[in-house]
Amino acid sequence: MAQQILVAAIVVVAFMASAWKLAPARRRLRVLLALDGWAARHPRLAGWRERILKPRLARAAGTGCAGCAANVGVRPQHPPR
Amino acid sequence: MDAVVSTPSLLIALIGVPNCGKTALFNRLTGSRQKVANYPGVTVERREGERAALDGRVLRILDLPGTYSLSPTTLDEAITRDVLLGRVADAPAPELVVCVVDAVHLPIGLRLALEVKRLGLPMVLALNRMDVAAKRGVHIDMARLATELGVPVLPTIAVKRGGADALIEAIQPARWEHHRSIAVPVWQDATAEDAEQTQIDLRGLLAAVGYSAPKESQWMARFDAVLLHPLYGLAVLIAVMFVMFQAVFSWAEAPMDWIDGGMAWLGEFTAAHLPEGPLSSLLVNGIIGGAGAVLVFLPQILILFLFILVLEDSGYLPRAAYLLDRMMGGVGLSGRAFIPLLSSFACAIPGIMAARTIPGWRDRLTTIMIAPLMTCSARLPVYALLIGALIPATAVGPFNLRGLVMFVLYVAGIVAALAVAWVMKHFAGVRQYSPLMLELPDYQWPHAGNLLLGLWERVKIFLSRVGGIILALMIVLWFLSSYPAPPEGATGPPIQYSFAGKLGAMLEYLFAPIGFNWQISIAVVPGLAAREVAVGALGTVYAMSAAGDDVAGQLEPVIAATWSLATACSLLAWYVFAPQCLSTLAVVKRETNSWRYPIIMAAYLFALAYVASFVTYRAIGALA
Repeated sequence: MAQQILVAAIVVVAFMASAWKLAPARRRLRVLLALDGWAARHPRLAGWRERILKPRLARAAGTGCAGCAANVGVRPQHPPR
Repeated sequence: MDAVVSTPSLLIALIGVPNCGKTALFNRLTGSRQKVANYPGVTVERREGERAALDGRVLRILDLPGTYSLSPTTLDEAITRDVLLGRVADAPAPELVVCVVDAVHLPIGLRLALEVKRLGLPMVLALNRMDVAAKRGVHIDMARLATELGVPVLPTIAVKRGGADALIEAIQPARWEHHRSIAVPVWQDATAEDAEQTQIDLRGLLAAVGYSAPKESQWMARFDAVLLHPLYGLAVLIAVMFVMFQAVFSWAEAPMDWIDGGMAWLGEFTAAHLPEGPLSSLLVNGIIGGAGAVLVFLPQILILFLFILVLEDSGYLPRAAYLLDRMMGGVGLSGRAFIPLLSSFACAIPGIMAARTIPGWRDRLTTIMIAPLMTCSARLPVYALLIGALIPATAVGPFNLRGLVMFVLYVAGIVAALAVAWVMKHFAGVRQYSPLMLELPDYQWPHAGNLLLGLWERVKIFLSRVGGIILALMIVLWFLSSYPAPPEGATGPPIQYSFAGKLGAMLEYLFAPIGFNWQISIAVVPGLAAREVAVGALGTVYAMSAAGDDVAGQLEPVIAATWSLATACSLLAWYVFAPQCLSTLAVVKRETNSWRYPIIMAAYLFALAYVASFVTYRAIGALA
């Protein structure tokens, strides 16, 4: 039973990751912005927001394609406000 | 002039003519790893990086596309002008301009510097490649140049550690505080009189600084006599391509066998140490059999990119562009299309973006529409798998037959691209032709650091794809291939009763005329996300079809035993043409600002792929 629950969890995460990776860049940016707005209202999430969310947001705003390293390690062209 | 608000950091723009070393300097200043190469047109968009100033403030540094003038003729040049003039939304004009001038070819860079100076922005002149200039006997009186221009002039060697120290010292915010721009500069496109005046100023300036032109290099002239010769040059180009594909197969064999063996061992080890059940099946058939099957091709991809990076760094590629210009012009392609099309061999996306360097809209559109026909590196695993499975590694004279077939597949993509361009020229009213005006860079030994960095970037990109989208899709495919479980008393392999099996059976009706079985039909669908996913999908599907037998790391023998030559060649033909990359279509939409062109592209490429596969399958089937 534990094995089945673990496999189910892995499959759900894989489904979500695939949907995320295949979503258009604009939609991903919108989701991240919404998430950022939500996290801003929760002080307990400040660390996660700074360390995880902000860099992701910056990458999503600066690049259109995850498959290409055109902007590896560089800040986005138009930093989000 | 409109007032703008100053920020505590200093915004610096790097500007210069194409291939003067701006991006190398940007990387040196910011610690970035942006792509650099020894040909013009590598940077086609604005990039931003940061560096801490000595006083702790932030230097924001912009790397801009190269331009010969502030009166742009192409999209990438317009980006540079707009950034300098503060016309880009949410981005103020730079507060300091670093005008990068190739010291070896001073006149062409100084001409742009004179235009930039007229904007009234604070400016520093970086004389780059001073080491090469000294070797070539170029004389420049830097002190006099600084006096004449009224700006600091500093020597730089962007590719060497410490080669930008003087520049770093000069761009500290404290030195520019009293110069900081309080206004947005205004520019009016130059008239003929302005251009003439700039030319007169330039001649005066060159005379004042005692500029002496670089000595002609004898060995470079000898190289060019051969490499630019219409006959010998073409022979050398074909030979280079040939050697590249031979090497992809010959050199990669041993490391591929190690990875293959490692994957097989991992599959057996996992199966032996986990109780039978869904977790074991997921790990062995889904992850190791799927993502592991793609990982095997890393050595081949690295060898291909090693060749591309060496050619890029050496200065050979623009010569190849010159050689092929007449052929490209004959089918209605702009000479400037060469570099974007070349970039498409790595990935169609930067290739399509590089089409910004092409002046005419029609020429640009033609280049964008044919860019996906260039064989991108994501297709390499598919080609290598099928060639490895069905083509014997026999020698044809001094050549390996597998390398020969790979070469033919790459050539097929190029020929198809030229044919489509020709059709667009004759039937879609694309009749403009802009001749190739390309500065031939100096030859140079490839920089070992650049090569290693470039290869390391490819390793990271490949592994992040395998560990990201490919792994996720393999897990999803494993689930779809495993559930629902087969009914009581079922005799076939469980995958036939699963979601994926039923989907494959439905798609088989569509793909049967071109020789695809249901396993291939399933693999083609996730291959839409990225082409190499198809290899992983075949690994998973065959592992699931094997009714418990582990095929992780053994995809080639399974294909060799179960597919006909006609089916394999049909799939190869499919992958030469089919637009199996959603990201490419998304970029076409962004670059053309319309859904019309990605839809047309997808439709014509699918039609071409289906027809090519049909003809291949039937022809080989009849011959067999």
